[in-house]
Amino acid sequence: MNLRLSAGPHFVARESTQTLMLDVIIALIPTTAAGVYLFGIRAAWVLAISVISAVLAEFIWQKLAKKPVRVSDLSAVVTGLILGLNMPPEVPLWLPAIGSFLAIMLVKQLFGGLGQNFMNPALLARGVMLVSWPALMSVYTLPVRVLGNTSVEASADAVSAATALIRPSAYSTYDLLIGNIPGAIGEVCKLAIIIGFLYLLFVGTISWHIPVCFVGTVALLSWILGSDPLIAILSGGVLFGAVFMATDYVTNPMLNIGHIIFGIGCGVIVVVIRKFGSYPEGVTFAILIMNILTPLIDRWTHRRVYGMVKKHA
Amino acid sequence: MARLSFKGGIHPLKEIHEGKHATKDKGIRAYMPEEVCIPLDQHLGAPSTPVVKKGDMVLVGQVIAEAVGPKGIPVHASVSGEVTGVVQKQLLHDKPSTCVCIKNDGADTWVEHAGLGSVETAPADQIIPAVRSAGICGMGGACFPTHAKMTLPEGQTVDTIILNGSECETFITADHRLMLEQPEQVVDGLRAAMRAMKVAKGIIAIEENKRNAYEAITKAASAREGVSVALLKTKYPQGGEKQLIHAVTGREVPSGGLPMHARVVVLNVATAAAIADAVTQGKPLIERITTVTGCVKEPSNLLLRVGTPVSEVIAACGGTTEEPGKMFFGGSMTGVALPDDTVNVTKANNCLVVVNKKDAVLKDATPCIRCGRCVAACPIMLNPMRLNELCEAGNLEEAKKNNMMDCILCGSCGYVCPAKIKFPFKEAKDKIAARRI
Repeated sequence: MNLRLSAGPHFVARESTQTLMLDVIIALIPTTAAGVYLFGIRAAWVLAISVISAVLAEFIWQKLAKKPVRVSDLSAVVTGLILGLNMPPEVPLWLPAIGSFLAIMLVKQLFGGLGQNFMNPALLARGVMLVSWPALMSVYTLPVRVLGNTSVEASADAVSAATALIRPSAYSTYDLLIGNIPGAIGEVCKLAIIIGFLYLLFVGTISWHIPVCFVGTVALLSWILGSDPLIAILSGGVLFGAVFMATDYVTNPMLNIGHIIFGIGCGVIVVVIRKFGSYPEGVTFAILIMNILTPLIDRWTHRRVYGMVKKHA
Repeated sequence: MARLSFKGGIHPLKEIHEGKHATKDKGIRAYMPEEVCIPLDQHLGAPSTPVVKKGDMVLVGQVIAEAVGPKGIPVHASVSGEVTGVVQKQLLHDKPSTCVCIKNDGADTWVEHAGLGSVETAPADQIIPAVRSAGICGMGGACFPTHAKMTLPEGQTVDTIILNGSECETFITADHRLMLEQPEQVVDGLRAAMRAMKVAKGIIAIEENKRNAYEAITKAASAREGVSVALLKTKYPQGGEKQLIHAVTGREVPSGGLPMHARVVVLNVATAAAIADAVTQGKPLIERITTVTGCVKEPSNLLLRVGTPVSEVIAACGGTTEEPGKMFFGGSMTGVALPDDTVNVTKANNCLVVVNKKDAVLKDATPCIRCGRCVAACPIMLNPMRLNELCEAGNLEEAKKNNMMDCILCGSCGYVCPAKIKFPFKEAKDKIAARRI
């Protein structure tokens, strides 16, 4: 009789890194679909190139470093997809490829691979590109197709336009919610993001703490500083960042109280950058800054361990 | 009715009703083995000294090994027949165990035994000695000598005895069936313990996935002095002593301390039933209810004689349905894997699970993604992720500072981990204890 000898637990939960990543990909389907519909085939190319480049970068690194090839855990797919969704639809097609290589090699693998990076790979890569190719990274165009009954006119020839963040009065709340506005591929259709958020909550991949505190803080602070809170939430990348990037397990705190601090911190920094900074949008840098503060938050927040009471005679 | 619980914890195998569906409605069935090998080191503490030799004829309940030291307990013959040998046998301990093997003559002839009367009238000072001579140890798994637990150090007081009927571990239904079929026995045992320890309050705590057992016990406990019943949420590790005490009394067991330091003693319901037998009939502990499940033809709750070999236990359930890839005693969270089917059942074995080849293979660990599921699951509020890093780095000193020794080894962190990390906390705790870091 050949029996396996191992310590318990002898049965474990079905959930794995791969299923968690798959859930994130599923949650991104509405956003991806909306982005491709609104911005056309060009957006599909950007996304395809960023995903394929990310997976390729991961594969090449793991081969060269003689590490086990783990592309099947789908984490590189998620990184590539999120990076692509963060780009304007009209970027030159070599840019998403460079971005994905930066994200996977520089941010993720150089620091030790999955779970070891201290900043979100897709976000840092976006930050680097924003600084390195500011002109290419901020060419926003009107959608080539629009959704629903709207006064926004679609343009088949990629007409540049200021993002809704700069000129929100040009768009109705309906357009802001549905995505009939210029912007990055994945961040324009807020409705799709909300559907993805609800899915992630339902399957238990993320908790509400970071997204709700992040978005809530942006709304509240914008209102205090005299802006329309609804436009503050719907016009830029806050929703996409709060749902899909700030919730990256690796780069946010451990405890719920830490998540709340993290979310509020992101919200405060976004509003400060928007209001007082030279960039119109601050979501990328807000989350990156809070990524860096995560070890500190983890150090400040801890729970009382069971049994820290005195003995009774 | 309010359902009591604790913070943290998990719901293991919820999708298959904790693995209990196959046996929860199966009545207890007695099985007589052909031969038994009874280990003399089943209980925690010094092994007992054999007083029989090869060729001796013994009766059921006859002492075959005497207790050693004040915490030791005697061991009794579980079948009548001829002693075929006093042998050294490799079981689940590090070293081989001394075992007394007896060929069952099938007559089931008992040694003469007499009780102290009813649990309400038996002389209170004779109850703990009776528990000791009956060879009773904790039947929830640890097999700590019960008389030693009931004898408090000078100056220590307790005000509550909790009977643990939560049975939160997966697969096991032995306590469930006991509470359902013999509720009076369980309540009697509690009353005997309360009288022996001069404790006024007794609480029987049961998880809500055993509604019918809860009702049976509630009925049996009504009109019994000082006894109440508590309904607990179905959550693992609800039956861990620390979680149980916190849920039922709101008290915490101090770090490094014992339940008595929270003025509580916890006994398993099966142990209580054994106490009742010892007090009312003078019956030693020679049999126990064991759930046998997994890939066996007839999953059952068997009343097994101590020392029955696993091969006979499986045969008593109609054999296996698939080639076994793993077998373990206990539930799937903390159960101990068996090297083969020659191992013998002890007083502590509440469950035997036979796992097929496919399910026996666990996935290899992948990198931690810091998802925090282990942190949320830990019922002691530890940070398993951090402790794992420290253990992997060999930094046990820092692990100890991060409360490693407060870990109860419930396995919740390992169960929920999506990266399938095998948290090495048992080894770490053993090393810290051995090196006195």
